[in-house]
Amino acid sequence: MTLLELDSISVHYGRIQAIRDMSFSVEEGEIVSLIGANGAGKTTTMKTISGLLNPSSGAIRFLGQDITKMKAHIRVVHGISQAPEGRGIFPGMTVLENLDMGAFGRKDRSGMGADMERVFDLFPRLKERQKQLGGTMSGGEQQMLAIGRALMSNPKLLLLDEPSMGLAPQFIRQIFRIVTEINRQGTTVLLVEQNANQALARADRAFVLETGEITHSGTGKELLANPAIKEAYLGVG
Amino acid sequence: MSMTDGPTPLPTAAAAQAAVDREATTAGPGSSTAPGAGRFKSFGSKWNALSRQQQWAFLAIVVVLAYLLPILNPPIITTEPGNNFALACFDMARFALIAVGLNIVVGYAGLLDLGYVAFFAVGSYTAAMLTSPDSPFLHIPYLWTVPVAMAVAMFFGVVLGVPTLRLRGDYLAIVTLGFGEIVRILATIIPAMKGQVGFQNVGHPPGSEAGGTPIFSNSNGVPWYWLTLTIIIIVLLLVGNLERSRVGRAWIAIREDEDAAEIMGVPTFKYKVWAFAIGASVGGLSGALFAGQVGFVNNQRFDVQTSILFLAAVVLGGAGNKVGAIIGGALVSYIPLRFTAIADYKYLIFGVALVLIMIFRSQGLLPARQRLLAYGRQAYSRISGRTGGGATPRTGQVTGQEKEAGA
Repeated sequence: MTLLELDSISVHYGRIQAIRDMSFSVEEGEIVSLIGANGAGKTTTMKTISGLLNPSSGAIRFLGQDITKMKAHIRVVHGISQAPEGRGIFPGMTVLENLDMGAFGRKDRSGMGADMERVFDLFPRLKERQKQLGGTMSGGEQQMLAIGRALMSNPKLLLLDEPSMGLAPQFIRQIFRIVTEINRQGTTVLLVEQNANQALARADRAFVLETGEITHSGTGKELLANPAIKEAYLGVG
Repeated sequence: MSMTDGPTPLPTAAAAQAAVDREATTAGPGSSTAPGAGRFKSFGSKWNALSRQQQWAFLAIVVVLAYLLPILNPPIITTEPGNNFALACFDMARFALIAVGLNIVVGYAGLLDLGYVAFFAVGSYTAAMLTSPDSPFLHIPYLWTVPVAMAVAMFFGVVLGVPTLRLRGDYLAIVTLGFGEIVRILATIIPAMKGQVGFQNVGHPPGSEAGGTPIFSNSNGVPWYWLTLTIIIIVLLLVGNLERSRVGRAWIAIREDEDAAEIMGVPTFKYKVWAFAIGASVGGLSGALFAGQVGFVNNQRFDVQTSILFLAAVVLGGAGNKVGAIIGGALVSYIPLRFTAIADYKYLIFGVALVLIMIFRSQGLLPARQRLLAYGRQAYSRISGRTGGGATPRTGQVTGQEKEAGA
């Protein structure tokens, strides 16, 4: 079943067009990766899906419902949750307070408790550090917190914007392992990455974004094997 | 995406963590010793180490002393002979109330408002125009003008907020600065607001002494001070409740990272307008009290400098901490009244003081962190308290916090 559908979306910053006529869809249960260089429009795409940016034309549908005009905070209630680029945690709040904010739109307390358990199972480090202020944690821990916080709304679709950015290689592998685990537990994941290698290896399907347009699409393995993509994104000539 | 899009006074994460660690230490079972970080710095941790009863007892003493302040008229502290001390107390209370209101906007929601004096002006003019014999409008008893002034100021808060709160940081600051000037200039050019001539004999609360002079006369500061102090206490209780509620959490999230708050499901625009409206109504309330005490309102008292002084009070006391705001407000009013020789240089002195505060104690005199932690305990009991054993923390430090949460 199609969870998310972008239908010829265009996004402008003032007069500059960041995304041109983009269409793709995410099926329920998948991991879908969007890869691309700096400025290709990856973050813009994510912000448009989460509702922080409004498309200038086109439509976004979630579970068949048109959400193009829906405000970001209502999309969360409908099941779209984002871990923003650059982590975007609340630096002056503790780990626990951050996670609590992730459940802001929820009323079901027992479900919140269960999701807290789930987050602590996925990220034992967060459980150890629950009284620590978000702003004083390492980059990798902040990324864990950002993902954990996004999971606290019990989303159907988890948007991850460059989870590997600025992290040490062992953290990157760990984050991707956990993303795969989150997906196995039933959450659909849409991932935006510059780290094409990991992003493609973990993805069911993937898209390559160049200057606001999708130039390649296929399964993760297909794109990994594609010579043009190898050359451009995987650093192999 | 980050906090850097506005010159919002924010505690640095590292300094705030130090506060948490202090709290964590004292919250542990049996440990009531605060680390030797200086008497002033460790006040927060000492405070949290006290039992609930001790805290209430201490508060009761502070409140009683506050009420007695103008009667005790303590030497050294007193502003006499330069200024009547009771009137000085009223002025301090008035500033403290303004700082509490502005703190909602600047401290909690992180919205830099440089035109807060506008709401103060709206409150003053509302009280004046509804009671002064110079005004052609309908006249009502003074005490009724207080809620009306709050409502009118709130209305202006919404009117200003709805179009401008889509802006952020510096842009919002500029627009609010403009709004402050607009209100002042309107008071000058609209004939019904009487410009510099102003309104004489603004009303006051009822009641007169045996000799027939009203209790709430312009020269008698004590009743005005008591009235304002009582209002401050009521406002503090209400604001404290708001702070601990969903609304307070939303404000803090918006201050920390507005985009992140929005994608957590916080209707950021709505909560920003609320912060603006509530802050404005407190400003209007203070304005109405001021108009009543002085008895005269014209366009000369609502300039940009006053706005900046209000903001200085909040930042000095500690943005995001209501007790800090009270102290900051009282100090900003007190210093020029007490040290009349330097009163002319007050902007210079506050400017230097602010620079020093930003360098050495960027969170203000009383940092905001204590308040946030109270919310942390709530968050803990809200989520983890209900999930059974799974979320039981392991380290001793956290166990102490857990007991705290359970208590």
